[in-house]
Amino acid sequence: MSTSGVARGRLAQERKSWRKDHPFGFVARPESAADGSVNFMKWTCLIPGKEGTMWEGGMYPLTLRFSNDYPSSAPECHFPPGFFHPNIYPSGKVCLSIVNNEHGWRPSITVKQILMGIQELLTTPNNDDPAQELGYTIFKKDKRDYERRVRLQAQKYPPEH
Amino acid sequence: MAASDPTPGWPAVVHSSGLQQQVKYAKVLAVGAGGIGCELLKTLVLSGFENIEVIDMDTIETSNLNRQFLFRKRHVGESKAKVAAEAVRKFRPHAQIVAHQGNVKEPQYDVDFFRKFDLVLNGLDNLEARRHVNRLCLAAEVPLVESGTTGYIGQVSVHKKGVFECFECQSKPSPKTYPVCTIRNTPDKPIHCVVWAKELLFQRLFGRPDVVTDLDEAEANGEDGAEGHEEKEDPSFFLRRDGETADAYARRIFHRVFTYDIERVLRMKDLWTTRTPPTPLVLDDILESPPSNGPHAPAKAAASNGHAGASASASRALGLRDSHQMWSLRDNARVFLESIRTFLEQRPEDVGAAEFDKDDALAVDFVTAAANLRSLAYGIPTQTLFDCKGMAGNIIHAIATTNAIISGLIVVEAMKLLAKMDSHCKATYLSQFNRRMVCAVAPPPPDAKCMVCGKSQLQLQIDTASTTLGQFVTKVLKKHLGINEPTVTCGDFMYEEGSGLDDSEVAFNAKNLPLALASLPGGGVRNGAILEIDDQTQHFQVQVLVSHKDDWDEEKVPEKFTLTGSLPPAQQEAEAGTAGTAGTAGAEAGPSSAAAAAGDDNDVVELVEAPPASTTEQSGKRKRPAESDAEPAPSKGKRAKAADDDDCICLD
Repeated sequence: MSTSGVARGRLAQERKSWRKDHPFGFVARPESAADGSVNFMKWTCLIPGKEGTMWEGGMYPLTLRFSNDYPSSAPECHFPPGFFHPNIYPSGKVCLSIVNNEHGWRPSITVKQILMGIQELLTTPNNDDPAQELGYTIFKKDKRDYERRVRLQAQKYPPEH
Repeated sequence: MAASDPTPGWPAVVHSSGLQQQVKYAKVLAVGAGGIGCELLKTLVLSGFENIEVIDMDTIETSNLNRQFLFRKRHVGESKAKVAAEAVRKFRPHAQIVAHQGNVKEPQYDVDFFRKFDLVLNGLDNLEARRHVNRLCLAAEVPLVESGTTGYIGQVSVHKKGVFECFECQSKPSPKTYPVCTIRNTPDKPIHCVVWAKELLFQRLFGRPDVVTDLDEAEANGEDGAEGHEEKEDPSFFLRRDGETADAYARRIFHRVFTYDIERVLRMKDLWTTRTPPTPLVLDDILESPPSNGPHAPAKAAASNGHAGASASASRALGLRDSHQMWSLRDNARVFLESIRTFLEQRPEDVGAAEFDKDDALAVDFVTAAANLRSLAYGIPTQTLFDCKGMAGNIIHAIATTNAIISGLIVVEAMKLLAKMDSHCKATYLSQFNRRMVCAVAPPPPDAKCMVCGKSQLQLQIDTASTTLGQFVTKVLKKHLGINEPTVTCGDFMYEEGSGLDDSEVAFNAKNLPLALASLPGGGVRNGAILEIDDQTQHFQVQVLVSHKDDWDEEKVPEKFTLTGSLPPAQQEAEAGTAGTAGTAGAEAGPSSAAAAAGDDNDVVELVEAPPASTTEQSGKRKRPAESDAEPAPSKGKRAKAADDDDCICLD
């Protein structure tokens, strides 16, 4: 247990508040290994696509990696590599101001706010600040193709998996 | 001196319009609507409180009516909280009284719920709930007035975060437990047989099959084997077989527990070198013996007489109507058989789901008969139904007047808190035999080392190789520390329980429960491990330093763990000689423990025998005046120093 006490204490608090109240359909918990041990500094999450949008029907897996500086610095948020969305880097890393240390991150931002912010980002991409070529181009040039690809991706992440 | 005085002191302030307004608008939560609760609600509304919420999970029982005066016979079976609220509303129709029928430990009564209130007033009946409310009040920073009565004595104490000690700054005696092997093999007191009948046999026959008691665990671990070579019991033996009549089942159980099992224990010769060996009971001999004197009504007629829904009583059906009458061996055997039969035939839905309830006549019949039969086998005096019910239900008989006095004192303290006159607050003790019936002391300040309101580390000695996570959670965290929904973390291990978990998370956590502490994922909880304990519903966080110990003397420490507070080395040594002060589970459970901690009658307290002068002196850190012989304080103005001159409480 070499992790910082502050980070760990805050994460315990985050987990507690999450259990008390979290948005419907979302999952967020410390990652567990096959042997039953738990990594508190890495959380596995699921974000449901908003209903009534092209993202609905998908449960998108997101990983939060917390550093020992957390909550002074933001967790890194990753979808699986190659995730299709203008603001997701090819590595899967989410480009969003509230989880960017230089921009919008504040230590008071909760896990719940992060996940809801990312759910919002899925349906309202910010094409002024693109992070991947493919998503950016298709979103800009062919909205129908964009929707087709998003819906195809939703099928890739069904609720039960 | 009255309202015109710009800053009236206590008690003149009671008549000031300022405090009267505060009382009128204060939001108070009354926890419990039982013996104290009824009196409290009445006194609150008659003192001008108009915003009251009351919570109680219980329904009204006939046995409450003698003292819980807001209830009438027609209310039996209804919610205490609701009926009590309705009743006091009639005293003051425009008061806002909200009733909650529920357990204060349910998650909806969370910190935010508590924050709504200016004051929380407890009239509770068990230690667990008191600790829970204490922790929530600390978290919500709401002052708490705590109370309890037992018989003629009682107390009221005031708890306020950062100002006064919290309810748990002084450790409370935990409920008495008995060594497992005494209960299972070598009882020598009536209570041992009552515990056996209630916790083991009743549970086996009628309880939920998944409930594992301490007594079962000992068996699973094969601990009895150390003393003999006992074959393991198959719990399914105690279930009714296909096609078996209720009568045959009852006789089979009788034979098993009072004949076969006694014979088996007899074969463990080592047990009987210093003890009197038991005598197996033979059912046919007992039933053939002539009936004892006394008229017994014909069983059949009375049995069929039971009205539907009401709890049938086996003893009454057999004509044993006087609960103070001592039953003969034959009576006990007949009640035993009859109560099993009645259970199976009239309440089949309860079999496999029942919990012992002192107000369940049939359950009390069964426990009385079973305990007495076991006593007879072991040559222990038998008990009347009335006494047995009291022992099994941890009943302490309650007195309405005590409740009324205590409730009045609660309201007095509540007013001081509202008037922001903390320096006048008192911990008040009502005693029967002291020179003064009522004595009051200044509430002690918070204990920096309190595991609840201070920052502390506890030291746990336990067998990490054989204790499972499940046992640790139940015995140490829930029973001993009063944690409601524990979260345990240690290195890369985490266990979570309670609300807010999905099915896969519940399953993930449950997988670890049967594992020994040392075998848990993430390297195991071994000697030197530090556990972080948190509670999902309370505000309770504590570190527990684990040390491994496997050579427990079960006679002295039946729990087979000790949990001690972290004290500086010097103090630790000083206290080592005085058993139990640091919260050692084993020591506290010893026979000298005076207090009945967790009864379930409404008015049981973890009793306080007036200001505990002895505790004060040995710990050396609490300055608490002893009640009677303290010399009067020199000046009336110096209240902070001592409260001797305030022994008499101003009630006006």
